[in-house]
Amino acid sequence: MIEVKNLTFSYGKDKQALHGLDFTVEDGEIFGFLGPNGSGKSTTQKILTGILRGHGGKVSLFGQDISAAHGQELFQKIGVLFEFPYLYANLSAVDNLNYFASFYPREQRRNVGELLDALEFKPDFLKKPVSSYSKGMRQRVSMARALVSNPRLLFLDEPTSGLDPSGAVLFRTIIEQERKKGTTVFVTTHNMVDADLLCDRVAFISNGNLVALDTPKRLKEKNSNHRVVIDYLYQGQRETKTIEAPELEAGIPFAHDEIISIHSKEPTLEDMFIQYTGRGLS
Amino acid sequence: MGKGFCVLFKKDCRMLVSGKFFLMAVGFLALYTVYVNLGYIRFMQMPPYNVYLYDPAGTQTEKSSLVQVVPSMEAMDAALFSDANGVGLDASAGDVRVVLYKGAEHVDCHRADYALSLLRPFTGSAPEIIGTNTPEQKARKEITCELLFFELAAVGFLGIAAVLFKEKGMGVICVHAILPLRKELFLLSKLAVFLLSDLAFAVPLTLLNVGVTDGAAILPAVLLQTTILSLIMALVGLLCALLLKDFRQFTLVYLMIAIFAATPVFLSANTSIKFDWIGYHPFYHVYMGLKNAYFGTDISPAYYAGAVGIIVLLFLMVRLAFQREIGKEG
Repeated sequence: MIEVKNLTFSYGKDKQALHGLDFTVEDGEIFGFLGPNGSGKSTTQKILTGILRGHGGKVSLFGQDISAAHGQELFQKIGVLFEFPYLYANLSAVDNLNYFASFYPREQRRNVGELLDALEFKPDFLKKPVSSYSKGMRQRVSMARALVSNPRLLFLDEPTSGLDPSGAVLFRTIIEQERKKGTTVFVTTHNMVDADLLCDRVAFISNGNLVALDTPKRLKEKNSNHRVVIDYLYQGQRETKTIEAPELEAGIPFAHDEIISIHSKEPTLEDMFIQYTGRGLS
Repeated sequence: MGKGFCVLFKKDCRMLVSGKFFLMAVGFLALYTVYVNLGYIRFMQMPPYNVYLYDPAGTQTEKSSLVQVVPSMEAMDAALFSDANGVGLDASAGDVRVVLYKGAEHVDCHRADYALSLLRPFTGSAPEIIGTNTPEQKARKEITCELLFFELAAVGFLGIAAVLFKEKGMGVICVHAILPLRKELFLLSKLAVFLLSDLAFAVPLTLLNVGVTDGAAILPAVLLQTTILSLIMALVGLLCALLLKDFRQFTLVYLMIAIFAATPVFLSANTSIKFDWIGYHPFYHVYMGLKNAYFGTDISPAYYAGAVGIIVLLFLMVRLAFQREIGKEG
């Protein structure tokens, strides 16, 4: 679906933002693109969505070089959720969605009412102007805008930003449903929970370089110290011990009365990111 | 492409309706019409100065009805005190003496000559009248031309910039960057909305203030000049809105345009003040194009060629700035 080879981009003579990125995103995959501010992830997304021109290297979408692709044909197949909910504040959710949908062929469009319903948008606000909405409601309308054209490739920038925990769960469910339909999803995020729960593979970008690319599970496993932490009771005292995981094969290797919990001491994605880049995500 | 344009056009119209732009335009039309018909034209028909005569012996037998006779010098002083532009004539000592508050020397000479001329009937030969406009027609055309120029150069220019700043503020420009439509249409629809709005404004303004018969005769030429000025100002407005950070910066630029661009043009076109360099001022030519349209004077083809060239150049600059703006956001 997406093929990027030796992608470079420079904003000026001495402002090289991307230093030769290489990655591919398969059809129907949810691909996470993680990086701190200024790392080049927005620039990459802008190049992939055809907003930014003048890059070096090769970028193909739907098997076609993006430089040679006919803009309108490409834009018909993609949906983009921006980091901020960009909507006409004086129009209602329905009017916004009808407006943006009207640029796509009728047979491609989804039903605006059903879409908003799936996103659990409050029906009372359907006809009210966007200026009266909360951030979470605006984010729901923005998501609906990205989905209204039934895109084959979906770019999501911080999709759960501004949502409460139940909203974030709902958005992850919607993204999963899109993937099940065969939509490829490219997620740019700071949110490690989203990346971990949603993405088939994640790429870490730092200073315009791709420093790691794998499934979240493998990235964590590769860097795991294979230790487990055991909480237990012994002679009325609560105690904690860390042991090597293989030691467990022969049973609990120490005296105890009751095991309370056993946790693998696996690194988080954020730990991995810091390890690969030397920087935090925010 | 046509469908995309219609959708954008409809949306821009809605933006203007919600921003009360059309309501404002109707308000300005009513205000200008009231000003021209009930204020300006009446003012232009009034005598330039009030003339007060103190003539206790009644020596000035052929005086004009415009002369106001006062019973005493004290009454004349009081009249001049409350009307400092007025001219007093004291005929109490035989010869007529002019009394007035001092102003600019050449204006004072004019005031004195005018006042004295009212004491005797007109005896000179009638001057040859050039042109077919009556003084009222001339005044109506001049003021309507000025008001239309102001409306297009100021109100339309501000209006289009305000709409674009609003869209910039809402961030929706970058959403259009990923929609399947030709990006030029985003600009063209705005130009079309403002052009049609300006043309729709120019028609009643001309007919109501110049007169239906006279106005209809000059309307095609006026609309052509309106199109040129409207497109130029809308493109300059778009360019400023795309290049400048916020509406506050834009207001400063607008003030500079108003002071340094419009003022010398109005002075050169409507008064005896002439600047040597005014021929190089693009607004001067556009204003004169509009004025020539109101007075039915021929306009050089070179002017049209220049206007088309400027419009094309401005559009290319706006398109470039728009591409930059799209790349910046998101």
